[in-house]
Amino acid sequence: MHHYIELVWYKVYADLRVEASRGYLGILWWALEPLLYMGVFYIVFGILFQRGSEDYVAFLLVGLVAWRWFDNTIKLGAGSLLVNGGLMQQVYVPKIVFPTVTVVTNTVKFLVVLTMLLAFLLLYGIDPGSTWLVLPGLLAIQLLFIVALTWLVSAIVPFLPDIRVIIDSGLTLLFFMSGIFFDLESLPLQLADYMRLNPMAILIESYRKVLIQGVWPDWSILGVVVLFSVIVLLVSLRLHLRYNRQFAKIALA
Amino acid sequence: MAAKQHGERLLSLKNIGVSYRRRGGLHRQPPFWALDDVSLEIYRGETLGVIGRNGVGKSTLLRLLAGIINPDRGTIHLDIRCHISLLSLQVGFIPQLTGRENAVLSGMLLGMRRKEIEARMDDIISFSELRDFIDQPISVYSTGMRARLGFSVAFQANPDILLVDEVLGVGDAEFREKSAHVMRQKIRSNRTVVLVSHNPQTIRNLCDRAVWIEKGCTRLEGDPGSVLAAYAGSQKST
Repeated sequence: MHHYIELVWYKVYADLRVEASRGYLGILWWALEPLLYMGVFYIVFGILFQRGSEDYVAFLLVGLVAWRWFDNTIKLGAGSLLVNGGLMQQVYVPKIVFPTVTVVTNTVKFLVVLTMLLAFLLLYGIDPGSTWLVLPGLLAIQLLFIVALTWLVSAIVPFLPDIRVIIDSGLTLLFFMSGIFFDLESLPLQLADYMRLNPMAILIESYRKVLIQGVWPDWSILGVVVLFSVIVLLVSLRLHLRYNRQFAKIALA
Repeated sequence: MAAKQHGERLLSLKNIGVSYRRRGGLHRQPPFWALDDVSLEIYRGETLGVIGRNGVGKSTLLRLLAGIINPDRGTIHLDIRCHISLLSLQVGFIPQLTGRENAVLSGMLLGMRRKEIEARMDDIISFSELRDFIDQPISVYSTGMRARLGFSVAFQANPDILLVDEVLGVGDAEFREKSAHVMRQKIRSNRTVVLVSHNPQTIRNLCDRAVWIEKGCTRLEGDPGSVLAAYAGSQKST
């Protein structure tokens, strides 16, 4: 067990090194790429559509940063066993190591972007209140949710590779339903309640409350997200244990 | 049948079958049984040779022994908890990383602890003859240099049962000689080794016992002389 934790860390280090060595700008891309990504949304929704209030830029960025962490990890995690198919044929490694590496690697990169976001919010003139102290808790809940889903999709994709197309479309749909461009509170009450069936919508709303509005999040609904994530986590863990030594056979076929 | 019985039994396979699902669009195809009925035993300290033609399931057998895949029928009995691994060269190598970093990563994938590998780094560097190149990314290495590093790292792994697939020496002529030499030494030592080959000469020279596998089934298990004689006989008749 200890050995595999050590392996995850070293593989994360290796993957980050590889990313940093790519292109002339190397590690700078960790900051530039999300900046470009968010710049696009700012141009479209902040300037072209002239949406929302003066807080709109901060509002939008908080949503996008949280979403990207989730979206990137799930997409890369879905293929993590397929990408390592060759390695799986040569040595025994618990297959859950691969999606876990994806999660940790993406989380490290996310933390860079998060730091930039917090710096931006301060420059933007937002006053960090006591509600900022809740941020680590929200991050932990989102991490739990991401780990659970990444483990799940990584175990399913080897059996049904075609499902990746569905995962991609599903993520696009979820993207528009997570209240990244709009405030859930501005929707009709009943519709907003439906939207809050989506853990990402709940998380993004909570981040905004805590970081921008200086209000405490709704703990009971976050509790539901935790419960849901733990259930998915346990199911995924079972799947991985059950098929740990089957994946290598499927990857061959 | 005076097969050298070394130590106690470590592991036994009984009537093992391994099947692969064939992927053929929407309708299911019958599975392909790469191993059908294989039984064998491994004793501490011995070198067991597995002989058979290409495509009879030798690689599947090694993957099964290494714990990479599970059998679909039959039983594996481990008498003692032991670490079994395949001698795999250049496992997990990443071109952008330095030789040193790849050695650590590859070694960890082969089951070594990071500290262990770092402690043996000097041996790895001197055996691979890479000198200062060890801190260069391996994308600048020649094929031969990569092979040397791959071997030097894999050779450091000391599982309880070492699985060796055919290749003993690698790299250019000189290094091939040197690597094959240390490999033979390691196999002849009192280490437990399973050596897979389609070359009778290799099995005869290095193994204490042999198993002949044909079409996924164990045909004969015993001392190398008699197993190889039977194997040679069958080769002529077909």
